[in-house]
Amino acid sequence: MNAVLYDVALTAYIAATATAIASLTSRREILVRLTRWLAQGGWIAHSVALVLRGAELGRVPLATLPEAISVVIWAVVLLELWAERRFRIPVLAAFVLPVVLMLGLALPTELRALVLAPGVRNAWIWAHVVLALVGLTALVLNFAGAVMYLLQERQIKGKQPSSLYYRLPSLEALDRLSVRTLTLGFAFLTAGLLMGAVRVGTAWGGALAGDPLAMLSLVAWVLYAATLSGRMTGRWRARRAAYFAVAGFCVLLVTLGAGMMLQGHHGS
Amino acid sequence: MSTLFVAGMNHRSAPVEVRELLAAEPDTLRDLLRELLDRGVCREAVVLATCNRVEIYGVSAVPGEARDAALGRLGRARGLDLADIHPHLYTWTGAEAIRHAFRVAGSLDSLVIGEPQILGQVKDAFAIAQSAETVGPVLHSLMTRAFAVAKMVRSETEIGRHAVSVSFAGVQLARKIFGALEGRSVLLLGAGEMGELAAKHLLEQGTQPVYVANRTVARAEELARTLAGIALSFEGVARALETVDIVIACTAAAEPVVRAADVRAIMQARTRPLFFIDLGVPRNVEPAVNDLDNAFCYDIDDLRAVVDSNLRERQFQAERAESLVDREVGRFVARLRDVEVVPTIVSLRDKIEAIRRAEVDKALARLPGVPEQTRRVIEALSQAIVGKVLHAPIVKLKDSSRDGRGRRWRAVIAEVFGLRDEGRSARADLDS
Repeated sequence: MNAVLYDVALTAYIAATATAIASLTSRREILVRLTRWLAQGGWIAHSVALVLRGAELGRVPLATLPEAISVVIWAVVLLELWAERRFRIPVLAAFVLPVVLMLGLALPTELRALVLAPGVRNAWIWAHVVLALVGLTALVLNFAGAVMYLLQERQIKGKQPSSLYYRLPSLEALDRLSVRTLTLGFAFLTAGLLMGAVRVGTAWGGALAGDPLAMLSLVAWVLYAATLSGRMTGRWRARRAAYFAVAGFCVLLVTLGAGMMLQGHHGS
Repeated sequence: MSTLFVAGMNHRSAPVEVRELLAAEPDTLRDLLRELLDRGVCREAVVLATCNRVEIYGVSAVPGEARDAALGRLGRARGLDLADIHPHLYTWTGAEAIRHAFRVAGSLDSLVIGEPQILGQVKDAFAIAQSAETVGPVLHSLMTRAFAVAKMVRSETEIGRHAVSVSFAGVQLARKIFGALEGRSVLLLGAGEMGELAAKHLLEQGTQPVYVANRTVARAEELARTLAGIALSFEGVARALETVDIVIACTAAAEPVVRAADVRAIMQARTRPLFFIDLGVPRNVEPAVNDLDNAFCYDIDDLRAVVDSNLRERQFQAERAESLVDREVGRFVARLRDVEVVPTIVSLRDKIEAIRRAEVDKALARLPGVPEQTRRVIEALSQAIVGKVLHAPIVKLKDSSRDGRGRRWRAVIAEVFGLRDEGRSARADLDS
């Protein structure tokens, strides 16, 4: 039942991604609506699956990296559905859902029982996971905002407006979305990494260098820190910040991939 | 048998030499409308006369005659020969007439698709016909529905959203860069007419303040007054460039007045974007400005390209609007058929209710002193019988109207139930 629900959710997300991308070039209103229905449907199936999974495990399904990513996807879709209405950006789904899909397909379909060593399971770890998760969710939207900014900037500079130009919101709105999600995402990511670092000293005996996920997270954190300080001090214009936001997110994705693929302390 | 029709000519079917022969004043129109009804060629009529079209919407047994009467009367003063304009005319009836009315009001039949004036013109034509008392139930429901469809086209498609004039295209680009324009500052260089127009469009969007600079200070001050702005000397321009968001350049200078090197220096010190709308020919802003980070520069040809692209976008939106119109035509045709049987249903109900009332009163008069409860039971009993008896014929009438046999069934019901007023006109329908 559980696995079927995950498949339903994933299939709905795949279909929603396809219709979202098609809606960028086609002017058919129905595609936008279809995207929303599919995403909502997928999200509901996903929610049920998560609850069932939690009941089955007898705990919050957040203790392993694949579980955490599954929850990130769930949160991103929720946030996307909300932000799309709140900021009136009907094309937002076309930039967020592909990321969701990338994360979703990278997940092992059969969630193996990858559980943290019992020794490190305590409040600190939960804080670490939840904070990093919220940060990651905001940064997915930050990435989408940055990509949309770069595309719209190119449309306006290029003076050959295509259908994208009409569908994307103003540079100002996209910049605002990016700055807000960056501030939020960075704050939570920082707090989450700090929580993790505190644990490193006790649980792993200070062996930070041996963990690929921890190392790569630091790289991403530095990129985001540079972007945020550049924006805040006014030295960076929106375009450079957008490029860095894209780079930072790519590192984050590699980080998660490495966390799942490579041997480390994050439970694979 | 009367039918709904629309006939006339528009910018596609007739050249301006022909259309101008039919131009009309509101007073002439009112007289014309009255005359059409008095002569009996129309039961209802609305005449729409704009510079791009002259059309008569009407309900008539003889649409062709009504059309010729209307157009002949309009062109009489200018020596119009009806035979000359016949090749330029079109006539639609029934569902096609409804579609035409919806497309015209929705600006799908306009020279510039999506232009907003036409809806107002249709409303004016409707108001004139109302004041002449030539609007009946059919045209009333057609026109009010057409207004609703036009509104729907505007809100459900983006048909009117993209600018089709160069100066307004500049404003919309500014909105794509800055979002809302309230409180954004503008610098107007030069006193060219197009520059002034663009500045006015920006003012309407809430930009302020507007700085105005011109070689002759007197002209700058004059413009500043009309735009409620601030006049600058040409020396003040350099400082203003550092702070403003939008620059409109429309000077007659032979050399660029804004240099890329200067803008580069300015951009170093600011984080907000800077948008140049260069309306000058030769150009007032060096094109290299557009290559600078966060600076955007559109010259007059760039803006024309945007307008062309906007027109193509309108075309796409128009296709969406057409399918919306299709749907609404279908709904309206169904409703119109319902309207056709509604009078019969009403008089049927009235007649039976009158019988019921009379019989109940008679019965109660013969039962003095019956308790209130008995009275109520008798009332309810009679109502229930009437309701059940009427149910089948009313459903039949409604159904038949939807599959196009409303007239026949209207006549049959009127005949069977002896509905006198209805019966006479319905019998005429049976014969026709």
